[in-house]
Amino acid sequence: MNRVSIKITGAQGQGVNSVGEMCAKGLKRAGYCVFGYREYMSIIKGGHSSYQLDISGEQIESAEAQVDILICFNHLGLGKNAHEVKRGGIILHQTPQWSFAASVQKLLDRRHVRVLYLPNEMILKKLEAKPILGNVLITSVVWALLGRKESELQALVREQFGHKGRELLMLNFRCVVEGFAFATSHSDHLTIKLSSSSARWKDHLLVTGSQAMGLGLIHAGCRLYAGYPMTPSSPLLSFIAACQNATGMLVKQAEDEITAAQMMSGAMFMGTRAVTATSGGGFDLMTETVSLNAIIENPSVFIVAQRPGPGTGLPTWTAQGDLLLAATGAHGEFSRIVLAVSDAHDCFSLMPTAFNLAEEWQTPVIVLTDKQLAEALFTQAPFDHKTATIERGRLVVRPAELRKLQSTDRYDPTTPDGVSPRWLPGAEAATFCAQGDEHAADGSVDESAPNARMQMEKRMRKIEAIRKTLPEPELYIVSKDRSVTLSSSKGDTTVGTLIVSWGSNKGVILDAISLLVRSPKSEVRNPAIGYLHYTYLWPLKIERLEKLVKKVKKVVLIEQNYQGQLGMLLKMQCGIDIPHKILKYDGRPFFVDELAEKLSSFIFHLSSP
Amino acid sequence: MNIPLDAAGIKVLKQYSCANQCTWCDGCGDYGIWTAVKRALTELGIAPWQVLLCYDVGCHGNMSDKLLGYRFHGLHGRVIPFAVGAKLANMRVPVLAFGGDGATFSEGVGHLVHALRSNYPLTFILHNNGNYGLTTGQASAVTWQGQPMTASPNGIPEHTLNSMDFIFSLEPTFVARTFSGDIPHMTKVFIEAIKHQAHGFALVDVLQACPTYNHFATHEYLLERCYDVSLGKHDPSHFVKARTLAIDTQKRIACGVLYQRTDIQNFYDRLMPRIGEETTLVQEVGKIDVCRFMKRMV
Repeated sequence: MNRVSIKITGAQGQGVNSVGEMCAKGLKRAGYCVFGYREYMSIIKGGHSSYQLDISGEQIESAEAQVDILICFNHLGLGKNAHEVKRGGIILHQTPQWSFAASVQKLLDRRHVRVLYLPNEMILKKLEAKPILGNVLITSVVWALLGRKESELQALVREQFGHKGRELLMLNFRCVVEGFAFATSHSDHLTIKLSSSSARWKDHLLVTGSQAMGLGLIHAGCRLYAGYPMTPSSPLLSFIAACQNATGMLVKQAEDEITAAQMMSGAMFMGTRAVTATSGGGFDLMTETVSLNAIIENPSVFIVAQRPGPGTGLPTWTAQGDLLLAATGAHGEFSRIVLAVSDAHDCFSLMPTAFNLAEEWQTPVIVLTDKQLAEALFTQAPFDHKTATIERGRLVVRPAELRKLQSTDRYDPTTPDGVSPRWLPGAEAATFCAQGDEHAADGSVDESAPNARMQMEKRMRKIEAIRKTLPEPELYIVSKDRSVTLSSSKGDTTVGTLIVSWGSNKGVILDAISLLVRSPKSEVRNPAIGYLHYTYLWPLKIERLEKLVKKVKKVVLIEQNYQGQLGMLLKMQCGIDIPHKILKYDGRPFFVDELAEKLSSFIFHLSSP
Repeated sequence: MNIPLDAAGIKVLKQYSCANQCTWCDGCGDYGIWTAVKRALTELGIAPWQVLLCYDVGCHGNMSDKLLGYRFHGLHGRVIPFAVGAKLANMRVPVLAFGGDGATFSEGVGHLVHALRSNYPLTFILHNNGNYGLTTGQASAVTWQGQPMTASPNGIPEHTLNSMDFIFSLEPTFVARTFSGDIPHMTKVFIEAIKHQAHGFALVDVLQACPTYNHFATHEYLLERCYDVSLGKHDPSHFVKARTLAIDTQKRIACGVLYQRTDIQNFYDRLMPRIGEETTLVQEVGKIDVCRFMKRMV
């Protein structure tokens, strides 16, 4: 696969993100699929942060650990990231009189890495431009190094700064000219070749997971958002809030996570669609409310953007350590649905699904995302507006039907699938109590043993009914001809090695398999590599996995946590133990080159399990 | 007030009656509050299907299945945010929240602070019996010092919270006080507090007898001291005088609407995205096109 990566490093607030975003936009419009990956620390200014762009003419959704171009806004990147540059790569920096430690210089020489010093300050002084214009200067050097046209960048600069007055625009243009002049005078042979472009990316969106999720919530008819700031759920709160004047959505920054969860629950009880989002620590505070919603059978949607714990942990890094929390957290026993988004498409399309499931089953739904997804930049086809439906389950709204209702219909314990008719305060009908104590069919407190048994069984019956209706995990087959296809259950037989995972790992796993199947080794050794992706994590569907493990040669579990939590749930559910695991728990996502290497050792060197 | 117990027409107290027997102690103030709530709703012409009553956890929460109406009985300390979420979702339904002094001034005190500063369109009835009754008589934040209680046999080491001073410090728009032994007075105050929902957060401090655990501010004690300010010259629009009147309970306890202002918008009416919207959030559920947002991302 032809892919190129650029990593921009600097102190937070230095313009790392703006250079990254400008490059991403320009490259996408030039016909490339771009994947953006951010690393930063839990501070506002200073520190060391980076924005990495991976670029290809083909579909990619992952970052590389080793990059082609490293741009350093300050000397920190030169010290910390120089060893991440590939053979034949370029380091572009603006630190005067810099010299590497001898060992690093040796490594760079061995890899034929070329180091370019851009006298940024001097050029800006000559142009009488403010330091902020250094961003455009750097971008234009990168543009030249990638062999792109000056006119492309000019168009982008005009779009970005055109509204700020002619004088500033002209100054920006002069920066572009200077940047190109620098690149050509310092390098006739210094270019990083991009693969061939493809027109199919031009009309795609550049969207972060958080933005995609925000659009999904809006699309799903969500009319109230209550949240409390916590990374990495905050970008969603910010995006939803920024859209509020156009959407009319009620966006409430609550006084704490408990408030946010309760407000969402109250609004859902009243009959609108509402959501709350937080990270693991905030969800800990919400679990009592999750449990309350279970007993009052209130549809409710909780979004949990994971980051590494325990405690404050690594606030701005990524993890998948809260799966067991989502599947089992909160007191008492009850039915719930846990699902995880995996990419921008899921972030959008699973929002209506989450609400539909909550309303159809009148139970809490927990949507897992993570820092990697929340902040990664995806090249995404415009979202489909036709597919989504609004399913409100057994919600009764027609006056004629409302009149027939009795109070005891609300929590009638004899309903076969555990789901009763639901109606809303303000509806002209018999009234009931949404009772947090164990209750009889009309919500009256009833502590008798037979009632306690019947109501528990009513609520727990839902879980088997839900399990029956949820789709099986998706199987992606990456064949020798390099195509990625979504397999119907018939195709399962051709799989040799099976990878099992969930959430944001999907993109990097598919990218890594694509690398592997191009390796000459794969031609002889493997019929096909299959990736079994779990979107629905509780209740778990196991039939497809059970069939697959009997046929395949090897099974590998990939997760970003210490224990292999999906593996634990699968073992609990069906007894299948996946001995081969690739687990990562250092706050960093899987990188495609790193994962391909790890997978390669499993696939080509391991004997069958 | 003269509300018939059993007659034709909407103004009938019986419309709120339900078959479940009350489980409060003999002489509990909740009987009076329960009756006054039903009377106030009936007097306002609100039918059970038109109202949402939200209960916290405590003795008062056991009212949740002793009357009709759409009701919710939730978690200890958390009734305000649930009720607020419900109200904001459908501004056409009157929403009443009920909570005790235990939950309101301890576990849920943050919610009270933000409800007052937000001026949410909500009626909040505080069942103030000076202790945690349902958990068998522990001290609350407003229990008197020196008073031995279940978990504090030597009395509480903390200062007693001056609840009214605290409430007034948050610039409320409606503060009333009443007494669980005076059903007509409670009815009158509840009616005003329900009407105030249009203007914002209405807090009613109901001084409530707890014959089992509160041996300091008893029914008799309150009966002796409580008086109705509306019978005198009190001006409920005067913030400083109202605050002084509310705080000073040493000799006599001022009851009635102590303070009210209607010149400040409630939380919902202040929301820019909702200005000019005729529909409620409940009515707006449906698929929404996001093309205009996507255009900016190409």
